[in-house]
Amino acid sequence: MISALTPEPTLLITAVALSLPFLSFSVISVVTRSHPRLSAGISVGAVAVSLMAVLWLVVLNRHTGHPIAYTGRWIVAGEIHIRFGFLLDPTSLLMLTLVALISCLVQIYSLGYMAGDPGFSRYYAFQSLFAWAMMNLSVSSSLLQLYVFWELVGLSSYLLIGFWYEKFSASQAGKKAFVMTRLGDTAFLIGLFLLLIHFGNLDIQALNNVGAAARMSPWLMTVSALLLFGGIVGKSAQFPLLTWLPDAMEGPTPVSALLHSATMVAAGVFLFLRLFPFFSQSESAMTVFLYVGTITMLMASTMAMVQRDIKQVLAYSTISQLGFMIMALAAGGTFAGAFHLTTHAAFKALLFLCAGVWIHHYGTNDLFHIGRRGGRGAAIPMACLIVGAGGLAGLPPLSGFFSKEAIMATLAELHNPVWVWAGLTGAFLTAYYAFRMVFIILFPGETESVLRKEGDTGPSGSLAAAHKRTHDHVMHWPLIILAGITLVLGFFEEPLNLFLLTRQGLHGGGAVPHSGVAYGSMALVFVGVAVAWFEFGRKGSPRVGFVERVPFLKALFSNRWYLDRFYSKMVKTILDRTFSRLSAENERLAINGSLDLFARFIVAAGRFLSFLQSGILRYNLMILFAAVTVLILFFWIG
Amino acid sequence: MTLYGAGFYLLGSIILGTAVLAVTRRNTVHAVICLIVSFLGTAVLFYLLGAPFLAALEVIIYAGAIMVLFLFVIMTLKMETSSEQGTSMGRWGPAVLLGALFLILIVFMVIRDPADRVPLETALAEPTTFGRFVFQNYWLAVEIISLLLLVALVAAIHLGKGKGEQMKEDEP
Amino acid sequence: MIVPYGHVIVLAGMIFAVGLVCMVARRNLIMLLVGVEIMMNGAAIAFVGAALRWQLLTGQVFVLFLIGVAAAEVSVGLVLIVAAYGKTGSLDPDAYNILKW
Repeated sequence: MISALTPEPTLLITAVALSLPFLSFSVISVVTRSHPRLSAGISVGAVAVSLMAVLWLVVLNRHTGHPIAYTGRWIVAGEIHIRFGFLLDPTSLLMLTLVALISCLVQIYSLGYMAGDPGFSRYYAFQSLFAWAMMNLSVSSSLLQLYVFWELVGLSSYLLIGFWYEKFSASQAGKKAFVMTRLGDTAFLIGLFLLLIHFGNLDIQALNNVGAAARMSPWLMTVSALLLFGGIVGKSAQFPLLTWLPDAMEGPTPVSALLHSATMVAAGVFLFLRLFPFFSQSESAMTVFLYVGTITMLMASTMAMVQRDIKQVLAYSTISQLGFMIMALAAGGTFAGAFHLTTHAAFKALLFLCAGVWIHHYGTNDLFHIGRRGGRGAAIPMACLIVGAGGLAGLPPLSGFFSKEAIMATLAELHNPVWVWAGLTGAFLTAYYAFRMVFIILFPGETESVLRKEGDTGPSGSLAAAHKRTHDHVMHWPLIILAGITLVLGFFEEPLNLFLLTRQGLHGGGAVPHSGVAYGSMALVFVGVAVAWFEFGRKGSPRVGFVERVPFLKALFSNRWYLDRFYSKMVKTILDRTFSRLSAENERLAINGSLDLFARFIVAAGRFLSFLQSGILRYNLMILFAAVTVLILFFWIG
Repeated sequence: MTLYGAGFYLLGSIILGTAVLAVTRRNTVHAVICLIVSFLGTAVLFYLLGAPFLAALEVIIYAGAIMVLFLFVIMTLKMETSSEQGTSMGRWGPAVLLGALFLILIVFMVIRDPADRVPLETALAEPTTFGRFVFQNYWLAVEIISLLLLVALVAAIHLGKGKGEQMKEDEP
Repeated sequence: MIVPYGHVIVLAGMIFAVGLVCMVARRNLIMLLVGVEIMMNGAAIAFVGAALRWQLLTGQVFVLFLIGVAAAEVSVGLVLIVAAYGKTGSLDPDAYNILKW
């Protein structure tokens, strides 16, 4: 097999890039569990080499006009041929680069963040596992292979969210994440089976082939598209399966940066992008997706407006931005969606990592506490936070501005103006909550020097200070790199567009920005920032948001629109009252009862038949003659 | 209905009736006496069915020797007095049911088989012919029967001696 | 022409059934043996009838042997009954249940 690899450098490089993290995971899990620094070194090294391999791949293949696929036989059963392998086209290369880069940066960052944690090796093992799964997901050539890695990604996310498993809330959060995404994945699987029955294989290329998809009846098309979208709803935390993501903030902040902002939740959007030619065959499905995306985006934005916890703000913001991406894709703007995916990865990871620096220093997630304790004194995180928030809000000339404009342009091309208005509202809300967060930290009102209690600050002493310096050093570099990307990526829109367009079947998604919409959204963004400044930034400001003044709205948004309460009630009613009770009754009456009945029958039969053993001759004689009669009958008939 | 036929049915009813009587007598001696009558009827039936030698044997051995032996044993065991106690007419139900089932089966078989409608022709087996036939074809069986009777004799004597007489024999 | 052959068989069956009932239902060892005798009687009638039906002497030969066997069996059986009565003092077959489980 090696000889088959060497003539094909692309394949070799891909194989190396994809297998290194898995090797790192195995080695760390088995061999170097007790050597934390060695484990970290192995993991970071593996992902760095993977990153370089991926970059080399991109350079090699950026001009090929058609997708490259290496596939091998996997499952052959009757008429079903499922292949596994690598499918390298611009979309997958883009995603690979994204995943590899951000994994690498986050792992380097974790060297500082997770230093001293007793589960250091375990953490890096899981990080490697995740990197491996996510990268393989990006280049899967068949849906079944993608599903396998989809589940693996879910597994690593569970392991990483519940990383500090001694804390009950963390393990609960991990379980909740897993179960909710699993719900979506079940729909995904059913959709997969539908497609399998119909097509006989699950090749992504075959699915995207317009001719092949036209063979399916429209109804079947819509149903399978909706079912596959169920997986996307679960994984990308869209409505109604969105409540796991805020809870998933129990995990370490680098994990949140990697999984829940940049890569794992983007897997759903990636799948949409991948199967876009397939999905776009069904108009009704696309409309449903548009609704889901819009509802998610607006809901999550409102939830972000009233949060005190910095990670929760960012979590809801992620959900909202993913909603934006789904909206863009459902409206037909593939490039807009893909571009926003990329820029979002950069600035959201940046935001999370900045938050991580403060959490690491002050040990608290609360915005107001961070502000009061002098959070703004940390120069680099503060600056990067402002850059990241600007990207999130869509301030020019940051990358977020360009990607958001692309989305607005796509939405403007739809017939119904309600989508554009929803998008504009979303832009306003995003700008508002992003800068609310910034201003709370930047202008804290009373500083902690007034309100300080003893022993509240972070680690004190010279050793701790030295620790802080090395950690800071390691943690700041990824921040700077990501901030740079955020600043600069916007200007690469055209080359990226060309790069992605080389894929067949994608129509030109880079719409010309509608001037009216563009100016409108820019205006709304500035208005949002202004409102945030008005409420939180000025001296003597009330530091209460306009939404927070309305208690009903505040309660609604803080409780996640009572979704969690609804779910728990549903679970209680359906599962506990109905199924559990039915199962318990079934166990008691049917299973236990039938066993008891059987046992009693045996005892009774024994008692009945014991007359044979009573030693009374007559009974045995009777049985003898009865047997003779039966034999006569038998022989006569037979 | 010929004369023989009438005779057959008459004899059949006698045999059956006395057999039933024998089964239902509480007193064992009465039962055996009824049984003797039954066997006598059987003997005449044998004569009707063309086996005079067997009829004679039936009277001599069966009704004569075996039943008398029964009577001897009954009287030895002094059972007239105890005939009331231990011999309650057990549970007739299952037994009668079983017998009835068996009977129904036999009748059914006979009815269904057309080969059973054949009327029996009268014939007679002369004792001479019979004797010659037996000793020509079944002499081995005759020898074995006589051996069997010898064995039975020895067994009866030995078992019948009882403990007391055994001890007497063991003394030198 | 006496009777159809089937009638002889039915008669033999009836006698056999009577003997069966006697053997199973009476609680006296002597009556047990009486039942056996009745059954053998029935069998003998069946054999003689068969001999007449097929005009062969083999049936009657068998009855000869049957009578002989009955004699041997009755003698041994009665001796056993006497011995058992001497040992246990009871003639009820239900009393001989030492071999029960």
